[in-house]
Amino acid sequence: MRNAIDTLLRSTIVVIFSILVVCVSWQVISRFILGTPSTSTDELARFLFMWLALIGGAYTLGQRRHLAIDLLTLHLSGRRKMISELVIIGVIALFCAIVMVYGGGQLVVRTLSSGQVTPSLQLPMGYVYGAIPFAGLVMLYYCLTFCRDLFAGRSLNTDAAAFGPLD
Amino acid sequence: ATLRLNHNNPPEHPVHISMQVMADRVAELTNGEVKIRIYPNAQLGTQRESMELVQSCALEMARSNASELEAFEESYSALNLPYIFQSEEHFNTVVTGEIGADILNASVAQGFRGVAYYTEGARSFYGDRPITSPADLKGMKIRVQPSPSAIRMVELLGGNPTPIAWGELYSALQQGVVDGAENNPTALTTARHGEVAKHFSLDEHTMIPSVVVISNCAYDALTEDQRTALRQAALESMAAHRAAWNAASDAAIEAAQKELGVNVHQVEKGPFVEAVLPMHEEVAAKSQNLADLIARIKAAN
Amino acid sequence: MASAALLLFGVFGLLTAIGVPVAFAIGASAAVTFLLFMDFNQSVFIVAQQMASGLDSFTLLAIPFFILAGNIMNRGGIAVRLIAFAQVLGGRLPGALAHCNVLANMMFGSISGSAVAAAAAVGGVMAPLQKKEGYDPAFSAAVNIASCPTGLLIPPSATLIVYSLITGGTSIAALFVAGYVPGILMGFGLMAVAGIIAKRRGYPVAPRSSWAQVLEATRNAILPLGLVIVVMGGIISGAFTATEASAIAVLYTLILALFWYREISLKDLPSIVLDSAVTTSIVLLMIGASIAMSRAMAFGDIPYALSDALLGISDNPIMILLAINVALLIVGTFMDMTPALLIFTPIFMPVVQSLGMDPVHFGIVMTFNLCIGICTPPVGSALFVGCSVGGTSIGAVIRPLLPFYAVLFVLLLLVTFVPEISLALPKLLLGY
Ligand code: NA
Ligand code: NA
Repeated sequence: MRNAIDTLLRSTIVVIFSILVVCVSWQVISRFILGTPSTSTDELARFLFMWLALIGGAYTLGQRRHLAIDLLTLHLSGRRKMISELVIIGVIALFCAIVMVYGGGQLVVRTLSSGQVTPSLQLPMGYVYGAIPFAGLVMLYYCLTFCRDLFAGRSLNTDAAAFGPLD
Repeated sequence: ATLRLNHNNPPEHPVHISMQVMADRVAELTNGEVKIRIYPNAQLGTQRESMELVQSCALEMARSNASELEAFEESYSALNLPYIFQSEEHFNTVVTGEIGADILNASVAQGFRGVAYYTEGARSFYGDRPITSPADLKGMKIRVQPSPSAIRMVELLGGNPTPIAWGELYSALQQGVVDGAENNPTALTTARHGEVAKHFSLDEHTMIPSVVVISNCAYDALTEDQRTALRQAALESMAAHRAAWNAASDAAIEAAQKELGVNVHQVEKGPFVEAVLPMHEEVAAKSQNLADLIARIKAAN
Repeated sequence: MASAALLLFGVFGLLTAIGVPVAFAIGASAAVTFLLFMDFNQSVFIVAQQMASGLDSFTLLAIPFFILAGNIMNRGGIAVRLIAFAQVLGGRLPGALAHCNVLANMMFGSISGSAVAAAAAVGGVMAPLQKKEGYDPAFSAAVNIASCPTGLLIPPSATLIVYSLITGGTSIAALFVAGYVPGILMGFGLMAVAGIIAKRRGYPVAPRSSWAQVLEATRNAILPLGLVIVVMGGIISGAFTATEASAIAVLYTLILALFWYREISLKDLPSIVLDSAVTTSIVLLMIGASIAMSRAMAFGDIPYALSDALLGISDNPIMILLAINVALLIVGTFMDMTPALLIFTPIFMPVVQSLGMDPVHFGIVMTFNLCIGICTPPVGSALFVGCSVGGTSIGAVIRPLLPFYAVLFVLLLLVTFVPEISLALPKLLLGY
């Protein structure tokens, strides 16, 4: 399950990022070379970018690569380390559940029901905001797997402090 | 009650000053029971964000404009049509009268209603050359706001509509990424576009007003007397704003000519009006409501 | 107001101290603060909205693209050739690679107008090379972080355009020209400090290159340097905007790496793209959340209270300017640059104008000040990106950053109290 979700997110991220490059390049080509500027790439790029950032953010959480200030927790070990890890995961899970899934869900439902559309493509704005509850759900799932690993006695990350430096 | 009102202009902007006039007048008429506190510079959110906050009652009031409001309530698109108004008089008659009030009240089902319109004058084309006929626009890349009506208008006039972010527009004009843009004359001075675009052509295609809105929650909490006071304060400040705006606009044109060396061109509007007429029918075909509004606006002249 | 400030900073401080990732700590403290002004449902609604909507900006697109271009340069053999070229030019200076880093940031940042894009692209290329030469990664990251904002002062600069818009039309041309000297001073100041530290630590100085080596390195660097020409030339000739240039940089590096050097193949691309997406989203999640935090501050009137408190200290102009700078430095520790500009420019502008300060000069002072802010913990986008691409932690990078903060602070005072540093050039060139 965890692997399947990782793989799915990875492919989605690569696809969105590639479309983004094509989209902005096309904006330049259509305007500068073809002389007929594209009128929808600007908005499409902005909304794909929001999705990319949020799905990317969820995947990054799964990789435990979000930056934290590790001055106080760097030297903990054993039981203290485990408690500290659990508290951190708990705070993240609460935030994802309450703000991103519940608050973001409300945001999506309300913008869909009020019928707000994006200015250029005339897409329902709720689709754009869907990135927030979606990312929140994925993040919640990752928090659950972290807890499972902690209780199974597995170290969360083999080579680095939790949420510590990147490679 | 204190009503928070968010908008995205600086406090020196004529619209901010006129909204303050409205705020002071409301406080006076209600003996201080209703206060409006204005947050400039988009402190509480962009125009779209603050509309969403108003809809969810997290914010009481916001100032947006008729163009952005199209995404929330279709009736506003009638006001944004090019050359729907024959003159400033015509515009004022419409927005202060029954048609204006009907549009303000059309969005109750969407969680808000309009309170006041503030004119932002007429928008015209400007760029690196004079644009005195639609033929001049042929092949020109014109920066537009990312709205279907702005795009369609420039297409019908023969130009190439080009969406560019507002923050990038100064550089885009300077480097020639776009050949021109469209806005009211104050853009020359407040956004300094007069430094990089030396020809302003007064074709005056659209008159897109600022609109102040209030959330249903905040409106429902007012007494009948307080609502009447709000409407009265709105109408009074709208009248005061017209004079203030014209003064600011004239001052901008003069400063652009004298200090920035911008050439201002008078334009024979006939060919422009003719070229965009299909838009009136296209928009009217969208719904009976819009068809009625367009017919009523034209009849009000 | 006091309760709002206490709640916001208290919750934020507590959560970051126990090691909660910064993005989540920012978002959570904003959500809790909103509870003072609205009900629960509205609070979570507004934070969710700001986290998504704070990212709704075309100019932010430069971040993922320049990060991707930097990664392609790294893996595709482009970076190595550029650095080899820089080394034959400046290899005899102590800390040559650090100087390269600063110069590259000045160039790259000035083109892209984005400090984080510069930090990502230049730092991503330089960090592995510096490590190979025996540089302490924390020192390399500190140099990269401190120097990446230079491009916000050296034109073109989206930041200065934002400032002009907020102040209701300060001349952008004048602001741009005024930014050159302070921006270049900032770069050179940092290079001086980096050189002293590198000399003390005995970082290697390259052996003198033979003419053949110089020629070889130059020949190899021609195509990679073409990137600078394409990006700069494209922007100057009006082919594309600064944001669009970032996508063109991706295309250029991609074509060079795939078809000319052939050091990567198509099947390497997904992992390069994924790496870039991770670095990008670390930063963007924090930017989105920090916009929510700025809104919470505005709802709580925190900006006004802060400025009142500071301006109440004295009526001596020098003290007031100092107080404004201190206030902005404090703001900069917690707030990202654009929200800080949007909120504080209108608050301080009337004060400095009553002291007779020129708005162009004040724009440069604000920007310079907030450039320091994006390098300082706990909230600093340049700090975050610099640490991620430099392979080091926030905890480790603070100490090596201290001497750089010191020189930046001294330069800030110079820029504040010597208006001519900013205004001489616009007066000379534009008759401002
Ligand atoms: Na720049
Ligand atoms: Na900071």
